[in-house]
Amino acid sequence: MKILIVEDEPGLSSSITAYLHNEQFICEIAATYAAAVEKIELYEYACIILDITLPGGNGIDLLKNLKANNKSDGVLIISAKNSLDDKLAGLKAGADDYLSKPFHLPELAARVAAIIRRRSFAGKKTIAIGDLEVDVDEKWVKFNEHIIDLTRKEYDLFIYFLSNKNRVINKGAIAEHLWGDDMDLSDNYDMIYAHIKNLRKKIQNVGGPDYIKSVYGMGYKFTV
Amino acid sequence: MKLLYKYSRINLVASVIIFLLASVAFYFLLHFIFIKQLDDDLHVELNEVATYISRNNALPEIIPSEDEITSYQFSSVYSQKQYLRTLEMGDGDEKENYRQLQFCVSVNGKNYNVFISKSLENTDHIIRSVILVSAITILLLLIAYFIINRIVLRRLWKPFYSTMALMKKYRIGHGGLPEFEQTDTNEFTELNATLVTTMKDAESEYRNLKEVTENASHEMQTPVAVIRSKMDVLIQDENLSENQSKIVQEAYTAIQRLTRLNQALLLLSKIENKQFAATETVALDKILEEKLVSFKEILNNKQLNIAAEIKPVNVQMNAALADILFNNLLGNCIRHSNAGGEIKVILADKAIEFVNGPAEKMLEPKKIFTRFYKGGSNTDQHGLGLAIVKEICLVSGFSIEYKFQNKMHSFIVVL
Repeated sequence: MKILIVEDEPGLSSSITAYLHNEQFICEIAATYAAAVEKIELYEYACIILDITLPGGNGIDLLKNLKANNKSDGVLIISAKNSLDDKLAGLKAGADDYLSKPFHLPELAARVAAIIRRRSFAGKKTIAIGDLEVDVDEKWVKFNEHIIDLTRKEYDLFIYFLSNKNRVINKGAIAEHLWGDDMDLSDNYDMIYAHIKNLRKKIQNVGGPDYIKSVYGMGYKFTV
Repeated sequence: MKLLYKYSRINLVASVIIFLLASVAFYFLLHFIFIKQLDDDLHVELNEVATYISRNNALPEIIPSEDEITSYQFSSVYSQKQYLRTLEMGDGDEKENYRQLQFCVSVNGKNYNVFISKSLENTDHIIRSVILVSAITILLLLIAYFIINRIVLRRLWKPFYSTMALMKKYRIGHGGLPEFEQTDTNEFTELNATLVTTMKDAESEYRNLKEVTENASHEMQTPVAVIRSKMDVLIQDENLSENQSKIVQEAYTAIQRLTRLNQALLLLSKIENKQFAATETVALDKILEEKLVSFKEILNNKQLNIAAEIKPVNVQMNAALADILFNNLLGNCIRHSNAGGEIKVILADKAIEFVNGPAEKMLEPKKIFTRFYKGGSNTDQHGLGLAIVKEICLVSGFSIEYKFQNKMHSFIVVL
């Protein structure tokens, strides 16, 4: 699957590429409005990560252009503006989601994965990863046909890990994902630990392996 | 002390001193004039006596009179000298002051001392009356002068007071410059013109400063985003040692603080720059209940007891700001409560109150809403949460106060 990163800051686009690039995704970068227009016209992308302020144009215009041409690429807007107006304008113009800078790459990966899921799995109901099976519409998780009974937070956490499988996620990123970024939880990492412990236990209770590894107190890695 | 009183006081003291001195001088002057008059009269009498003696060769007959006493006294020697004196005469209680002329006459070879005395009683009466009349007149004049002064001064100073009243209401960066009352007094025109110039300068400086803050925050977003993303990539490296991971985690924490600080500064600038001007009817009770749900886990984790009294309250304000307001106030309560503490939230028609504690001591009410104020030792916080709350209250037309009662901190937003 191809992902287009429309971002003029090379430091950021290279990080996104490095993080998202794996056996599933191929990332391409467009650093200007013109380059982005050219790429969008030529190829089809599973998801376009779109910055609003671009040299030579506005991301919103690009998005409108895309919709006018009946392209079905998923669009995730990333903007430094963090303004409600931008968000509304973006979503109104047909973006699938909005993420304000600065963000954690695992969060970006989770959003991209969600967009791709919504678009490409329209017909298919469930996703299977190894022995795990997830229904994102009905929000259940199975291990070897055994339903794992998860709370909402645990389910969120599970999906987050799944979107970032085989990668180390910083605990700060997990906290932000679970509780939003206006809640300062720097002294509440033990809450994350509690959720992870429960998730681990619930998977193991139905005979599953320990998917989640702690990485030196810095973060966690979900390995499949 | 008011200028008017200060001026009046100086005036009054000076007037009273001048008035007293003038009265004393006036009294002596009048006294001198009257005595002079009496002395002249006494000399007329002397002439009359002398004329009578030269014509009739006998002492004139003494005619008793109320205010004039004449008496003769045999004298062995004749003297040309005349004596004028003031003395008390009469018996017992009815002593009166008299002016007396003593001279010597010769009748048929015999010498007599003649004493002609005129009463000073009437003179004293007159002096007293004159002094009294003038005193009353001067007093009345003074009173009239003060009343007129006050009225005139008040009228003259009116533009000054109106300028003062407008300046008291003026807040830099909020609303335009005040419109001063037109005046034809040069001093006040100059004062108003100076104030306008100063305010204009201050406003433009203030705007620049705000723009700097907002631009700086904006410009910082990108590098912060790059650093964070690089770290997210860095920790994927499987060769990171435990020690390196620890360092990376510390860097994460620092960059997280920087991010929050930057976002808070940006938010403050945006509120100040009226980027949250759109208002709608907001159901505060709904927002508060949502917040209590989303904070529930953290409350439980910290073993905080929360009690809420929520009435349905609708206000006209920006919805996003209402959300931030509750978020910050509740977050503040949680952050600054020790495990096992109490939090109380009351939403009533006219006020929102957040109470938390117990706490050892009161925070500094004057500093608590200023930027970067950190009450405790918690250096993880940027100290902007309450400054944002205050700014939200300001743009929404609310007021906020802090109280410390029964070892509990209390933040009250008056709607």
